Amino acid sequence: MIGGVARRSIVRGGLIGGVAAIYVALVGLYTKFADLELVGEQVTLGRVLIVAPALVAAYAVTRPRIVAGERRPVAFGPGVAAGAQTGAVTGAAFAAAVWFAYWFGIDRIREIFVSVTEPLIEFLTFGQGVPAGLPLLVGASVVGGAVGGFARTAPARVRDPVSIGVVAVLLLGLLQRIVPIVFVELGFEARWLYRSGSGLTLLGAALIFVVAAGASVAWDRGGERARDRVRKTVETAPAARLGLLVGILATLFVLPLLFGSVISEVLSQVMVYVLLGIGLNIVVGYAGLLDLGYVAFFAFGAYSTAVLTGAFLNTTTGAAEPALSADLNFYVAVWLVALLAAGVGLLIGAPVLRLRGDYLAIVTLGLGEIVSVITASRWAQPLIGGPQGMRGVTKAQIGGFNPQDHPQQFYYLALAFVLLALFVSWRLASSRIGRAWNAMREDEQVADAMGISIIKFKLLAFAMGGAIGSLGGALFAVNLGSLTPASFEILVSITALAVVILGGLGSLPGVVVGALVLIGLPGLLREFEEYRLLIYGGALVAIMVLRPQGLIPNVRRSRELEQEEVTQDAWAKEVTGEAEAIAAVVPGGTLGVEPEDLE
Amino acid sequence: MGTVTEEQVRGAQLGRLERLPWRRVILIVLSVLIVSIVTIGAYKTLTLPADARYSAAAWRDFIVLGLAQGSIYALIALGYTLVYGILRMINFAHGEVFMFGAFAAFFFSDAFEASGFLDSNSVSSMAILLVVAMLTSMGVAVLLERIAYRPLRNAPRLVPLITAIGASLFLQNTARGFFGAQSKGFGVPTALEGTWTIFGLTLERTQVVVFVTVIIAVAGLSLFIARTTTGKSMRAVAADSEIASLMGIHVDRVIVTTFAIGGLLAGVAAVLFSITFQSVNFSMGFRPGIAAFTAAVLGGIGSISGAALGGITIGLMQSLGPALILTGYNVPSPFQLKDAFTFLVLVLVLIFRPGGLLGSGEAEKV
Repeated sequence: MIGGVARRSIVRGGLIGGVAAIYVALVGLYTKFADLELVGEQVTLGRVLIVAPALVAAYAVTRPRIVAGERRPVAFGPGVAAGAQTGAVTGAAFAAAVWFAYWFGIDRIREIFVSVTEPLIEFLTFGQGVPAGLPLLVGASVVGGAVGGFARTAPARVRDPVSIGVVAVLLLGLLQRIVPIVFVELGFEARWLYRSGSGLTLLGAALIFVVAAGASVAWDRGGERARDRVRKTVETAPAARLGLLVGILATLFVLPLLFGSVISEVLSQVMVYVLLGIGLNIVVGYAGLLDLGYVAFFAFGAYSTAVLTGAFLNTTTGAAEPALSADLNFYVAVWLVALLAAGVGLLIGAPVLRLRGDYLAIVTLGLGEIVSVITASRWAQPLIGGPQGMRGVTKAQIGGFNPQDHPQQFYYLALAFVLLALFVSWRLASSRIGRAWNAMREDEQVADAMGISIIKFKLLAFAMGGAIGSLGGALFAVNLGSLTPASFEILVSITALAVVILGGLGSLPGVVVGALVLIGLPGLLREFEEYRLLIYGGALVAIMVLRPQGLIPNVRRSRELEQEEVTQDAWAKEVTGEAEAIAAVVPGGTLGVEPEDLE
Repeated sequence: MGTVTEEQVRGAQLGRLERLPWRRVILIVLSVLIVSIVTIGAYKTLTLPADARYSAAAWRDFIVLGLAQGSIYALIALGYTLVYGILRMINFAHGEVFMFGAFAAFFFSDAFEASGFLDSNSVSSMAILLVVAMLTSMGVAVLLERIAYRPLRNAPRLVPLITAIGASLFLQNTARGFFGAQSKGFGVPTALEGTWTIFGLTLERTQVVVFVTVIIAVAGLSLFIARTTTGKSMRAVAADSEIASLMGIHVDRVIVTTFAIGGLLAGVAAVLFSITFQSVNFSMGFRPGIAAFTAAVLGGIGSISGAALGGITIGLMQSLGPALILTGYNVPSPFQLKDAFTFLVLVLVLIFRPGGLLGSGEAEKV
């Protein structure tokens, strides 16, 4: 035992960390990020990833233990020591694997694991070669472990500013493509903060750390009273709320002016997924119907926009008119598209009304796949181009406003759509319809008995979700100007689902944050593109296991949840006064989500 | 309140769903439409002018191919059915369990091919490939259960499903990172190239291997479930896990065993699939996985003979359906739409007979 942490737990946690490090190496993340400099020349994302497995393992190992309903945190000193030991185990396991790979022969391993290369070994041994560099690798893990132990057990007044400072530095280091551009657009010099085309300077990093840590201390010292006053003003005074809203809108409006076209393009992709997320959130989050075929609406929106506005088919000889073309103006067509998509939602919804839960998910998955298979088939060629797709989708031009050719202008078009969808969705959620959906999600039979027409509201959810999703498709078509079936595969459904789930089911701010994290970050860091799906998959699993309510949970639902915990587990609170202990002793309480929430 | 009419009373008795005739109308219209489309298409195909018609030999090839593919689907479907029977969850990542088995077999067959062992000792090398693939798939399945599904044992039912989708994506892209994105050619021993003639039927040798292996595997599994103590405890947990645990059955261990068996069968399927199509890549698990899941649902999820029957049906439908129905309508490249057939069958089964062919009529959970 080291300060309440069993030796067995250290060894186990350390070994899991080692396996994680080996996984990261084999999947190719180290080789990919070896040269992505965050701070100076030495702190690269690859090196952060060397330290990370030990850090996370140590953080998990030094967690407070629950003994007989009582929460026993690990003390600071022993916590750091236990963390360092965990890191040592992780580092030893990892170093042993590196040594084994070297001894066995890099080329022989590469026949199976394509990422195992000489540069990888050189990177992992800090350029020192195998026997000499291995102690460095172990050392890095020990440091990582100690930091993990520190992050868990240090007193909050030290830990919070330090971790906020470090996170701020790493984040700004990662955002090295945006922040300098903003500086330049605003007319400031960025050279002191960012090295050209690379990460932060040492001075910049130190400055950011001090500012972020200082802000954290100030926020903390400011005391409950000041924070309460701010919160109360925003909550009660209508003028303050209006001011906040205007402020947010103004910020959204000037963003593309600050960021230039590259980032506006990324933001536009984010907006398309925000739209998909809002639509899917109605179906999954509000009404509780898991739809895995959401790509159907996306494809419908995109292709029907193309057909209605008179796009051309790609053919081997050039371009041809589609079999059916309406040649409408985009701003007329888009409403028609949404209306038609709502109809498609009804058509899809009607036969599957009786299905629930995972059966519904699978049927919708099947319907979505049928749509993508047909889109890509030669059968669909005369109408929508089949495997070759369409091009020349309308430019949606009004005077000098031409969103297709100018990413910044497209941003405004997308913003208008998103704000409209957000408004509709927000009003729906707090209306009678939203409450009916809530009731239906919680318990269909009871809702039925209460006089809620299940059929009506299910169909309404499918129709609303379909209409908003098709707007996402229409925007997508306008943005690209051309369509190929490769953009309409099941991954769209899964990405949209990941956006909704990461943010928190039923939470509109969650959708925005989810899209920013899942679409925006990989868009800004091109290096991530290859690993985007790996990260989505991992994120879906991790969120479901660790935090099923999402990053920004639906307010009403988390309130209900707190209520229940208070009444059910008052005894546990009396014993310890710690919320975490309650969560840990209540079966299923660690999930922090109502079991019926997702049913 | 006024008087209560007879109709209102009846309405209250029947419940809201039953009172809506138009939902039934939609279903009836839908089924009439489908039946007529299928019949007209088949009629048109069969009455094509003689030079445009498929020959009898072509139809026989379609059927044999369908049977071979279907029996592979059946093996994968068993993995879905066993897990669903016990946990009531769709192990969406089962296709990836299958994919990892195929990769393991590929690396061994590649090495054997280079050393000449594959051609000189084809029987023992095939046996080694089978064992390697089975063990790998089993390992992946057990790890998946331990890491992703066990923490969610008591969570609402959609949580494990979403997790499984995430795990599927994660495993697929892990394989991509580990082994590279390009497809790899899978070598088959020369002894399995060419054809055998059995009872006047000329069959590809690989297809014969597929049939024999699948029959052995399904028979072995049925015996295992029916005769052994472990099989008995699996049935007990499937029937009621709480009562089973009160009877002294270690439920967690039974669940791990179930995943392990599903993985073993997926490993067998992986080798058979690889020698049939002679190519492996990281996304090879998705479509067969869905087809197999459809097979499990079609046969009645939870039922072993149902999975076998469903697999064969789906295989036949994929190979016969486009040729028989779509050719008549002059659809260009009808086989591009074969996956649409799988999904259409899935959707229709769930809408009209959610319990499946051999299931108990209406599945209680639906």
